[in-house]
Amino acid sequence: MKSSLKIFGFVIVVLAFYSYVGNTVPQKITYPPESADLSADMTPDELAIAGADIVAGKGTCLGCHTVGSRDSGLRFPDLGGIATKASTRIAGMSALEYLAHSLYEPNEFIVDGFLAGMPAINRPPIGLTDDEIKAVIAYLQSLGGTPSVTLATDVGYVTEVSAIAPAPSGGATLGAGLDGPGVFTTYLCNTCHSIDSPDPLVGPSLFDVGSRLSKAEIYEAVMEPDATLAEGFPGGVMLTTLNALGFYQKVSPEELRALVNYLADQQGN
Amino acid sequence: MPETRLRKLFNPWKSSSVNERPWEPTELRPRNRHPFRLCYLPICAAILLAVAIVGILALPAGASPQEALQDAANPDYRPFPIVGSRVAMWVVAQLHLMFAAFVLAVPMFALIIEIIGYVTKDKRYDDLAYEFTKLLSVSFSFTATLGAMLTFMLFILYPRVATYMVSIFSWTFFPYVFLFFLEALFLYSYYYGWGKFSPKVHLALGVCLNIVGTAIMFIADAWLTFMNTPNGISETGALVSLPDAINNFIWMPINIHRLIANMAFGGSIAAAYGAYKFLGAKTEEEKAHYDWMGYIGNFIAISALLPLPFAGYYLGKEIYAYSQSLGITLMGGTFSWLFIIQAILIGNLFLAANYYLWVSMERIEGAERFRRFIKYLLASVTITFIVWATPHSLVATVEEARQMGGAHHPMLGVLGVMSAKNTAVNVMILTTYISFLLYRRGNKEAIVPWAKTGNRVQFAIFAVTILFVIFLGVYGYFVEARVRIALSVPQVLAVLTAMISVTAIDIFMFKNAKKTGEIKWGQMPDRAQYALFFIALTFAWTMGLMGYVRAGMRQHWHVFGVLQDTSPDAFTPTLGFASNVISVTVLIFFLFISIVFWLSGLSGKKPWEPKAVDAVRSAESVGTERAVEAPE
Repeated sequence: MKSSLKIFGFVIVVLAFYSYVGNTVPQKITYPPESADLSADMTPDELAIAGADIVAGKGTCLGCHTVGSRDSGLRFPDLGGIATKASTRIAGMSALEYLAHSLYEPNEFIVDGFLAGMPAINRPPIGLTDDEIKAVIAYLQSLGGTPSVTLATDVGYVTEVSAIAPAPSGGATLGAGLDGPGVFTTYLCNTCHSIDSPDPLVGPSLFDVGSRLSKAEIYEAVMEPDATLAEGFPGGVMLTTLNALGFYQKVSPEELRALVNYLADQQGN
Repeated sequence: MPETRLRKLFNPWKSSSVNERPWEPTELRPRNRHPFRLCYLPICAAILLAVAIVGILALPAGASPQEALQDAANPDYRPFPIVGSRVAMWVVAQLHLMFAAFVLAVPMFALIIEIIGYVTKDKRYDDLAYEFTKLLSVSFSFTATLGAMLTFMLFILYPRVATYMVSIFSWTFFPYVFLFFLEALFLYSYYYGWGKFSPKVHLALGVCLNIVGTAIMFIADAWLTFMNTPNGISETGALVSLPDAINNFIWMPINIHRLIANMAFGGSIAAAYGAYKFLGAKTEEEKAHYDWMGYIGNFIAISALLPLPFAGYYLGKEIYAYSQSLGITLMGGTFSWLFIIQAILIGNLFLAANYYLWVSMERIEGAERFRRFIKYLLASVTITFIVWATPHSLVATVEEARQMGGAHHPMLGVLGVMSAKNTAVNVMILTTYISFLLYRRGNKEAIVPWAKTGNRVQFAIFAVTILFVIFLGVYGYFVEARVRIALSVPQVLAVLTAMISVTAIDIFMFKNAKKTGEIKWGQMPDRAQYALFFIALTFAWTMGLMGYVRAGMRQHWHVFGVLQDTSPDAFTPTLGFASNVISVTVLIFFLFISIVFWLSGLSGKKPWEPKAVDAVRSAESVGTERAVEAPE
C-alpha cells in the first residue's frame, strides 16, 4: 500500500512537471480565419492595407514566406521588394500578371533554388476569394512599388464558384448569408426563370409561383427538380445546372429558407 | 410526387398534406440539443462494441456520398456537459489509442519472447511471455469499451463528421468487424490455451493474433489519416476511389510509425508492471524475477525507440509531400513550440533510459570497468538534449530582442534549426546505443583472437559516423533548402548502418565469450524502478502530445481542405491547455492500467480460505444450531 501511494505521488509529480513545461512555452490560440471586409470603393492603398491583414491572417502567407529577411537558406522566397522583382521574372509578363499568375497557379514558375509546394490560394484549405486575392496583389505591389489594383481591376483570373469551397466544407461561401433574391441570382436561377413577367425563358416563369405552389412544393421543386415537371419543359436541365454550380453542396439552410420564402412571395402582382 | 433520394432531406414545410400551409420553423433543420449523459455509459465491453458496430452499419451505410454531403451541409454538433464535446472526444480517443497500442504491442513481444523460450528451451522466457500475456485479457476489454464509447460519442457529438466519414469508409467496417471477432478468438485462445496446445500450435496462434491485430490497426489508420491527407475523392468531397482513400499520403507512414511506437509504448508499460511488482515483492526470488521483467520490458521499449525518429522523418516527409502548408503549420507555424516540448520529452526518455542502463550495470559483476565511460556518455546525452530542445526563436522582452538584434539569439538561434536538431538526435541515438553495448558486455570478455581489431573497427565506425553526421549538419547551413532537407536521409542511413554493423561484429566477437561474473537480478535500487515508471509516463505523455498534434495540425478542418469545423471549438487551443488535457488523460490511463495490474495479479493469489477464527465461529454456530434443533 505504501509503495502504491509513493508510485501514485510520483505519477502526479511527473505529470505536473510536464503540464508545467507545456504552460511555460508561448501560449497562443489560433482562430479560424475570417473573411476580409472589402468594398468596391477602396483605393489601391486601402486595399493594400487590407491585403496585409489577409497575408498575415486568412492567407497564411507568412507561415512560409518572409518579408525583408536577409537570412540565408530560406525555404520559400522572401517577398521583400517583390513589386520590383515581379516585373523581371518572366519575359513579356508584367508585374501584375506575374503576381496574379503566382497566386492562382503558384507551381508553374518556381524561383531558382526553391521547391514547388505552394497551394493555389483560391482553393481550400486557404480559399481566398478573387477580391481578397486582389487585396493581396495590392499589398505585394506595395512591397517595393506603388499599389495600383482595385477591386475593379481585371487580373486575368476568375474563380469558378464551385472551386471556392468543396461540398461539405462549409467554407468561404457556405452560409454566406445571402437573402432570397441574392440566392436567386448567385446561383443563376434568373438566367432560366423569369420572375418579373409571366413569359417563360428556358424554364417556366416563377412570376406567380407562390400562388400555385405551397412552400413545401417549392422546396421539393428546388431540391428535387425532376420529381414534378411543368408541362412542356424538359427534365434534367435544372438538376444538372444546379449540380454544376455546386448549389446543393454550398447552399446553407438559412439561404435555402430565404429562397423558398422569396419564391413563395411571388404572387403574380 | 414520387419518392426519391432527395425526399430524405427534411422538408420543414412538409406536413401530412402538402396543400396545407404548415407551421414554419425558425430553423431549417432543428438540432437535437439533448446533452449526452454519462449515466448511459456502457458496462459491458462486448455488448457495447457489438451495438456500436451495428450502429455504424445501420446508420448511413446505404446512403450515397452525395446524400451524406447533403446532410453534412448543415453544421450539426451537440454539446457535452462541463468539459465540452472536443475535450470529451479527445480524452476518450486518446485513452482508446493508448489501450489499443498496448493490446497490439504486447502480443508482438510476448510472441518473440515465447519463440526465444521455445528455441533456447529456457522455461523462464515462456513464463515471462505468459506473464506479459496475462495483462492482455483485461486490457482488451478496456480497449473495446473505450472504442465503443468513442464510436457512440462521435455519432452523438459530431454527427456531421461521422456521416461524412461513413460515406467514404462504410465498406471498410465489415472487414473491421470480422477481424475484431478474429482478434478476440485468437487472443483468448492464445491466453487460455497456454500449455494446453503443442508449442508449435500455440506459436501459430500468436502469429495469427499479431497478423489480425496489425490488420485492424491498418484499417483504423486509414480513417484517421484520411482526415489529415484526404485522397480518392472528387473536388466536392465525394468518394471516387476507396483504395485511394485508404492509401492516402500518410497511411503507410502512420502504420509503420505506430507499429514501432506501439512496441515502445507497450514495452514501457510492461516494464512499469515489472517495477510495480518489484517494489511490492516480498522475496528475493520475486525481486529477481520482476527486475528481469522490468529490464526486458525496458529493453523492448528503448530498442523500438531508437528507430522511431526515422519513422517520424518518413511521416513528416509525406505530410510535406501532400501539402507544404500543412507541413509548415505542423513544424514551423502554430505547433513549432510543441516540438520543443516533444524534444524535452524525448530527451528525458533517452536520459532515463541511459540512467537505467548505467544503474543496471551495478548489478553486473565485471561491469565496473565501464563506469569511467559513463561521464562521457552523460555529457553527450546532455549536450545533444540541450541542442535539440533549443527553440529557433526565443521569447524575449523588447529590450532583450533589441540586444539580440531580433527574435533569434546570435549564438543559440543557430542551434534552433533542423540541421542542428537532426544532428543532435542522431548523436543521442548513437550514445544510447553505446550504453546498451557497454551493458551487454558487462560480464563478458571476448576471447576471439581478433577481439582487439574488432574493438578498433567498432570504434572507427562510431567515430566516422559521428563525424559524418556532424559534417552534414554543418554543411546544411551553407546550402539551399532543397539540398538541406535531403541531408537528413544520409544522416539516418549512416546511424542505422553503424548500429547494424557494430551489432553484427559484437555478436561474433562475444560468441562463447568468457564470463567475468554473474548478473545479480533483484539487486537493484528502487530509484531504478522509478526510472522505469518515468519512462512509461513519458512515453504515454509523448503519445498524447503527438496524438494532439496529428489531429490539431488540421486546425479548423475535420477533414483537411474538405470538411470544415464550424463548431464553437473550431479554434486551436493553447499548448498549455493541451498539456493539461494530456496530463489528465495520462493520469486516467494509469489509474485504469493500475486496475489491469491489480486484476492480473489476482490470478497468482492463493484461493480464498476462511481464517482459523472464522472457521471456529462457523463450527460453533453450526453446533449451536444443532443444539437448538436437538430438543425437537
